[in-house]
Amino acid sequence: MLAYLLSYLDPGSGSMILQMIAGGTAAFAVSMKLYWRRVAKFLRIRKYDDDD
Amino acid sequence: MQDRGSFRDPGNRVFAAPDAVYRGLSAEAAEEWRALAASKLGGDPRIVATEEVADAPEPWAALLRHERIPFVSYPYEWPFTLLRRAALLQLDLLLDALDEGLILKDATPYNVQWDGARAVFIDVGSFERYREGTAWQGYRQFCQLQFYPLLLAAWKDAPFQPWLRGSLDGIAPAELRNLLSFRDRFRRGATTHVFLHARLERRYADRTREVKEELKRAGFRKELVTANARTLRKLVAGLEWRGASAAWGDYTQTWSYDEADAARKARFVGEAVETLAPRLVWDLGCNDGTYSKLAAARGAYVVATDADHHVVDRLAREENERILPLVVDLADPSPALGWRGEERKDLPGRGTPDLTLALALVHHLAITRNLPLGELIDWLAGLDSALVVEFVDPADEMAQRLLAAKREGLHADYHRGVFERLLGERFAVERTEELAGGRRILYLARPR
Repeated sequence: MLAYLLSYLDPGSGSMILQMIAGGTAAFAVSMKLYWRRVAKFLRIRKYDDDD
Repeated sequence: MQDRGSFRDPGNRVFAAPDAVYRGLSAEAAEEWRALAASKLGGDPRIVATEEVADAPEPWAALLRHERIPFVSYPYEWPFTLLRRAALLQLDLLLDALDEGLILKDATPYNVQWDGARAVFIDVGSFERYREGTAWQGYRQFCQLQFYPLLLAAWKDAPFQPWLRGSLDGIAPAELRNLLSFRDRFRRGATTHVFLHARLERRYADRTREVKEELKRAGFRKELVTANARTLRKLVAGLEWRGASAAWGDYTQTWSYDEADAARKARFVGEAVETLAPRLVWDLGCNDGTYSKLAAARGAYVVATDADHHVVDRLAREENERILPLVVDLADPSPALGWRGEERKDLPGRGTPDLTLALALVHHLAITRNLPLGELIDWLAGLDSALVVEFVDPADEMAQRLLAAKREGLHADYHRGVFERLLGERFAVERTEELAGGRRILYLARPR
């Protein structure tokens, strides 16, 4: 929450997603997790806000 | 006086004073500054020399004092070599910052200035503590203002300067993608940083807030920023501008004198520099930088400009510590740009020289670019600096060649008598010297 209130530059959402992909192997797991959440949400396996 | 280019970051304001540059910081910004000062990057020579001034005036929580840069320049004036050097500095500082638990919150090349060939990072307000789970906010800006312009030159041999001058935000991912060919898709970095970037930008437009939350939940971490910055560093370091090494050949030989005349010209310029002892010299139409180097060797700081990107880049690669080489077309020089036309200044707005060199320049501007002699001398007089100027007589081989391209009689007023009368109206001529049998004349003049 605090993070995006504090940034003064619009980082661009696409540009942020890209950084996850551009991180190489280190990024792979995070990418998978992000997309799995999307799929899960789509399939209603679990609700978006369940996990925090 | 507040610098008109500093207003976007509310926590930081820059004020220019004659002796130094001051920066007022909000309470939050002051905390970030102290984190930087306490890290390994505190006092790093790549960052502008900075000290905290006691008793900050209202409304500031802290006041910083920065060393002044000899002459401010902008990326749309830099040759390829300087923009690449600035981009590498940006990435190196980002990587070092991440090691220290800090990050650069933006990535504009306007945060880099030059002390001769040495890149100096001037915006200490860009450093802040890294917040876990966040991406690099400056990545897109880095692409638009540094990486893509370099790609444009390296891959397409197209100059980036007009584009950066035309748009202070640089080249958008979709714009660069549209310029690339099928072949370019297979170049290193193209798929990810251009094609995919453009696609994702379109797909996720206006979802910044949502995406930030999602990234954090998915476990985005600092190592990803580091990995991306390392990849970018490798890509940028590997970029070469083919134009830089291409047919430039014997430019100097073709455009110059025989040896005896060249030596007399060098002596004339050298003596002028020694007599006047200028702090700042502008060498307009610097070509290979012969006279810039001559002035620099005598203690001046030289802003060397030429409209030819090739010669300027070549000079930049020599890394002279007292020469700042810039791509400037004097018939169409850098205008004032940005909000209210005040964010980026025109050249004289950033400080005028103590001595101006205009050698083998006037005939190009007067004949090829059709600038009236009177206008040109007026402009030089407006700089209010001493002047060493060369007049190339219409009978000279070089002038003949330029005149041959023009309609006969079009430049009837391009004449030594006319030039000397106009020069005499605005300047007091102190010395003259005839070279090449009187076909080239040097003048040392002071403004009236």
